[in-house]
Amino acid sequence: MTVLRNHTEAAVPAASVVPPEPPKRTWRDALGRWDGKYTPYLIIAPFFLIFGVFGLYPLLFTAWVSLHDWELIDGDQGFVGLANYTQLLSDSHFWNALFNTLSLFVLSTVPQLLAALGLAAMLDRGLRAKAFWRAGVLLPNIISVAAVALVFAQLYGRDFGMVNYVLGLVGIDPVDWRAETWASHLAISSMVMWRWTGYNALLYLAAMQSVPKDMYESAMLDGASRWRMFWAITVPSIRPTILFTVVTSTIFGLQLFAEPQLFDPGGTALGTGGADRQFQTLVMYLYEKGFRLFDAGYSAAIAWMLFLLVLVVALVNFRLARRIASKG
Amino acid sequence: MSRRLVCSVAATLVVVLAAAGCGGGSSATSDGKIKLSIGLFSDFGYDNLIKDYQAAHPNIEVEQRKVKMEQHHTQLATQLAGGRGAADIVAIEEGAVAQFRASKDKFANLADFGAKDLKSQWADWKWNQGTTDNGDFVLGLGTDMGSLGLCYRRDLFELAGLPTDRAEVAKLWPTWADYAKVADTFTAKTPDVKFVDTSRNVYKAILDQTEEGYFAKSDDSFIVEKNDKVKQAFDQAASLGTKKQTNALEPFSQDWNVALKQGSFATTTCPAWSLALIKAGAGDSAAGKWDVTTAPGGGGNWGGSFLAVPKQGEHAKEAYELAKFLTSPDAQKRIFKETGNLPSQPSVYKDTEVTATINEYFNKAPVGQIFGSSADSLKPTYRGSKDSKVTPVFNNALQRVEQGKQPAAEAYAQALKEAQDAVK
Repeated sequence: MTVLRNHTEAAVPAASVVPPEPPKRTWRDALGRWDGKYTPYLIIAPFFLIFGVFGLYPLLFTAWVSLHDWELIDGDQGFVGLANYTQLLSDSHFWNALFNTLSLFVLSTVPQLLAALGLAAMLDRGLRAKAFWRAGVLLPNIISVAAVALVFAQLYGRDFGMVNYVLGLVGIDPVDWRAETWASHLAISSMVMWRWTGYNALLYLAAMQSVPKDMYESAMLDGASRWRMFWAITVPSIRPTILFTVVTSTIFGLQLFAEPQLFDPGGTALGTGGADRQFQTLVMYLYEKGFRLFDAGYSAAIAWMLFLLVLVVALVNFRLARRIASKG
Repeated sequence: MSRRLVCSVAATLVVVLAAAGCGGGSSATSDGKIKLSIGLFSDFGYDNLIKDYQAAHPNIEVEQRKVKMEQHHTQLATQLAGGRGAADIVAIEEGAVAQFRASKDKFANLADFGAKDLKSQWADWKWNQGTTDNGDFVLGLGTDMGSLGLCYRRDLFELAGLPTDRAEVAKLWPTWADYAKVADTFTAKTPDVKFVDTSRNVYKAILDQTEEGYFAKSDDSFIVEKNDKVKQAFDQAASLGTKKQTNALEPFSQDWNVALKQGSFATTTCPAWSLALIKAGAGDSAAGKWDVTTAPGGGGNWGGSFLAVPKQGEHAKEAYELAKFLTSPDAQKRIFKETGNLPSQPSVYKDTEVTATINEYFNKAPVGQIFGSSADSLKPTYRGSKDSKVTPVFNNALQRVEQGKQPAAEAYAQALKEAQDAVK
């Protein structure tokens, strides 16, 4: 409005012009300006406040703790610089836990996301009682992890477990699921998959439903097979969702704790993820050091290494998944 | 997107480290009563006693907080670290007491309230476990104890041609070496049944019969290299594992319960409190099949707790009075009658009412007498402040032997090295 008026007045010869009255600035305008400028910040402020208190502060405090010899109960026992980190790098239990974490992550995440993709594709077809099936795949996710672990611990029992019973039917000797590295990793991965496949499938399904149907129709007219349509249309179209699930699965996968800890009959009081630490993850090691052995400084150093690891792997996965998904 | 997500999720993990346990401490309630909280795990049998105490002290209100044992001590540690949230009275189990003794500054010295006058109530060793600084600092008052016996399946012993009467069974194994010989006889006759549930508890029982284990009584230093007793106990227990005479089970786990139900093993070391666990696991169908007798090597103690008063509470004096009441001889006798928790005070465990107690489920075994007499001859092993760092290392080694993953000598060498690293 102001601009428009100035513009028309500019056409009038300058000499005869009375200087235009400056627009009157009322408190209402001021408020409006302030509103436009600052309200968005105000609205997002609670998140950052809460993140600051419960996210950033502990993060920095943990870094501070990790530079000290810090007893859980008695607190600071003196500054030690990077000693906790150097000790960590030569700690074979740390590398063992790192290996287990990565192994469990790969064993559970890769098949999980592929299965979720397949499951979503099935659910995306015209099924009877759609709502039932869709709610059904989420069911394992809403059951308490403790209950899931209890059931799986029985299934994988050494002497009287159902899995060994079934293996026995086809003539395979019973497996001591908790004693062997690979057996324990498979068992725990199956637990993780059971819990999270349905959840990821629903995310994929939601994304698939927003893929324009005419793309499929034209592809069909061109004589494309279902398989080809899936990889050439569906997967590239839901790329953002795939990236999201890859990143979140990475974050959760590397912080795996509840499933392996509950799989350990020793529990949090005695368990070390097996007699050989064959399924002890990084977070389990962190817990052992910090809360059972009360070495908070060392535990904080593990937490920071884990943080960096998650950051790096998430970024790598993000890049990787973006490249793979855009190939179609 | 990814970075923030990563940050926030990783940060929530880290929160765990800084977050102290929650829950309010003590305070006066609105009606002017003093509110005392007491932090326990499992069943201490205090319900009726607390009712009586509140009736006798109308200005006091008591709240019990029960959590699982494995969470209880971790929670207590974070509450002590945070300086708030701990109950006015906290129970500390015998295995954890050494670890908390190292942080005695966080607890009230009960000697300040006159606790030393009560000393004669308890068996000497029980009193000593709850004190430090040569007895000048009283950290906690003893509750129950866990006298050690040995439980065995009568029917399985009969099958193996062994005696079944508990006095005769006790004669079979005056020492742990004899126990191993019985194991050989048993395995030869009944190869399908394991002789014992786990070598770990045999190891613990043997080691707990020595005066010093991993640490020196005099200066708390690590002495495993010098102390042959540790190696001997390990070898004796490990040989059961090597000969596949153990069931390689985690004690008191789900699998252990199943094995009890299926009758997969014939003996188990049993502290007084474990009778209830065996009964629960084996079920009514096994009533009268299990029996209990004296352990090889002459008794021992496993478990039992102490009541301590954290300094952070507002009503230390009142808390002490309540703890004193709950651990008094009268209270212990009543608890024994109501729950079976074994008293740690000679005047109570020698009481005819206690010694005359029999356990129906365990073939009417005179448990009061078996456990009481075992308590009298007890010389408890010294637990160092770093015991909890070392114990799991040797347990794991024994489990590796049982699982056939490592020969005993190699497992011991690895455990020794790990233990040396752990106490550095």
